[in-house]
Amino acid sequence: MAILEIHKISKFFGGLAANSDVSFSVEQGAIMGLIGPNGAGKTTLFNCITGYYPPSRGDILFDGQRMNGLEPDKVCMLGMVRTWQKVRPLPKLSVVDNVMVGALARTSSLKTARALAMEQLKVVRLEHRAGFLAGGLPIGERKKLEVARALATQPKLLLLDEVMGGLNPAESEEIIQLILDIKARGLTQMVIEHDMKAIMRISDRIVVLTSGEKLMEGPPQEVVSNPEVISAYLGESHA
Amino acid sequence: MANPVLKPVAGILVLGALFALPRFVDSPYALHMMILLFMSISQGQSWNILGGYAGQHSVGHAAYFGVGAYTTMMLMHAQQVAPWLGAWAGVGMVAVVALAIGSICFRLRGPYFVLASIAVAEILRLSAINLTGLTNGAEGILATDLPPFKIGATVITDFSTKVPFYHAGLALALATITITYGVQHSKLGYFLQAIREDQDAAHSLGIPISRYKNIALVLSAALTSLAGSFYGVYVGFVDPPTVLGLDVSVQIMLICIIGGMGTLWGPVLGSLVLVPLSEALRSNLITEALVKAGVVNADSRTGLFLKENLSHAHVLLYGVLVVLVILFMPDGLMGFFRKLASRRQREAV
Repeated sequence: MAILEIHKISKFFGGLAANSDVSFSVEQGAIMGLIGPNGAGKTTLFNCITGYYPPSRGDILFDGQRMNGLEPDKVCMLGMVRTWQKVRPLPKLSVVDNVMVGALARTSSLKTARALAMEQLKVVRLEHRAGFLAGGLPIGERKKLEVARALATQPKLLLLDEVMGGLNPAESEEIIQLILDIKARGLTQMVIEHDMKAIMRISDRIVVLTSGEKLMEGPPQEVVSNPEVISAYLGESHA
Repeated sequence: MANPVLKPVAGILVLGALFALPRFVDSPYALHMMILLFMSISQGQSWNILGGYAGQHSVGHAAYFGVGAYTTMMLMHAQQVAPWLGAWAGVGMVAVVALAIGSICFRLRGPYFVLASIAVAEILRLSAINLTGLTNGAEGILATDLPPFKIGATVITDFSTKVPFYHAGLALALATITITYGVQHSKLGYFLQAIREDQDAAHSLGIPISRYKNIALVLSAALTSLAGSFYGVYVGFVDPPTVLGLDVSVQIMLICIIGGMGTLWGPVLGSLVLVPLSEALRSNLITEALVKAGVVNADSRTGLFLKENLSHAHVLLYGVLVVLVILFMPDGLMGFFRKLASRRQREAV
């Protein structure tokens, strides 16, 4: 069953089509990879799905409900939450307080929220940093904090925007394990990633975007052996 | 304060001492200073909820202070409404003004709220000057005849001394501190701080940004209005510059900037600095001290110049103070003390 259906989404900035007629659907419990060269419109698509931009055309159906034009907070309350490519910690709050903000989406009790936040910090292995100020964390831990905070809102679909960007191989490996752990708990994920090896390992299906359009969609093996994908990434001569 | 019993006990002792102070201090001047201090704390705490916690820096809190003060005074003067009832009408008026500003400006990003807050305060000041039928214009409203405060048939006080004002001010200051504490330790406080730290991130975590900004604004404005009503009734007089002027807005902000924005005790510290400072400037205490110390001759040209001008120089000195605080203590006195404490801790380890 598809939890998220994207129907012919287009987003124009003036005359520029950042997304045009993109359609695909994400199956419940699966990991959908979203790849494409810089400027392909991956983050714009995330912004449309999560309510930061209203799409110019097309429909977004989440859990059978039409999401177009809903504000980001409503999108989150309905069960879709994102992380940010350029991390957005709440720098002057402690790590656990950051995650509590997410948890408070579903509860008004600080005690419940704190317990839930500590639980999520354990999931991302950041519980030893609970009392630290979020602004002082190194990049690897800030990325994990983003994931913990998003998980604390108890989503049905998690959208991860380049959580491995800027990480060293050991840190990336940790994040890959984390994403697979989250999948094992039954949560659906959509992942933007540049690291092809990583995206191949975690994705059930991959959508490739170039210049705002969907180039192809399929299982990882099929995608990487597709000559059009290779030429989009490496240029015509390599195809 | 590692001992968990020590803190509440110390708190109760300080409270008791503050409550009982008028029994031991007769000087009306000392009580007056304490009343000004309480009012300043109330103003600072009120601004702090919106500016410190939610990060929406209002440079027009005089609007709420002034509307509260005017409403209460007008009702008392024209309709003989007791101020402790009229103050709630002031809160209602202010809530309407605040919601009107908030619902328009909080949709926009960037400095629009700051600009609009100044504009609204100035519109209200000019209206108060020009709507002479309603506000008595630049002459202001004088209303000093307070009805006695009764509970049932018992007269609690007839306001013949400063003592009832002292207790009312203390109660108001404590109420604002308690409310701020409550905000800080609730979902509201977390959401406001999240909005301050990163609006987009907060939005993605399920926080309805505009609604929470409006809640902070109305709460902040309502408390400021109570402080305004208190001021009007205590002084017995309101006119446009003293309750609606831009320098009132600036002074309210300064309490928090100097003390530490977004902290429970920042406005208290800020008030402890600003109230004595502004009093020393206003009453020429500094010139007198310089003369007494023999630094300047009272009849020399410098002495006369200082005597003539220093009392008007508070705005200049506030400016210098803000520059110094921003350069050397960007998180205010609270931030400065915290840094000292953590340094000492590190050295101890």
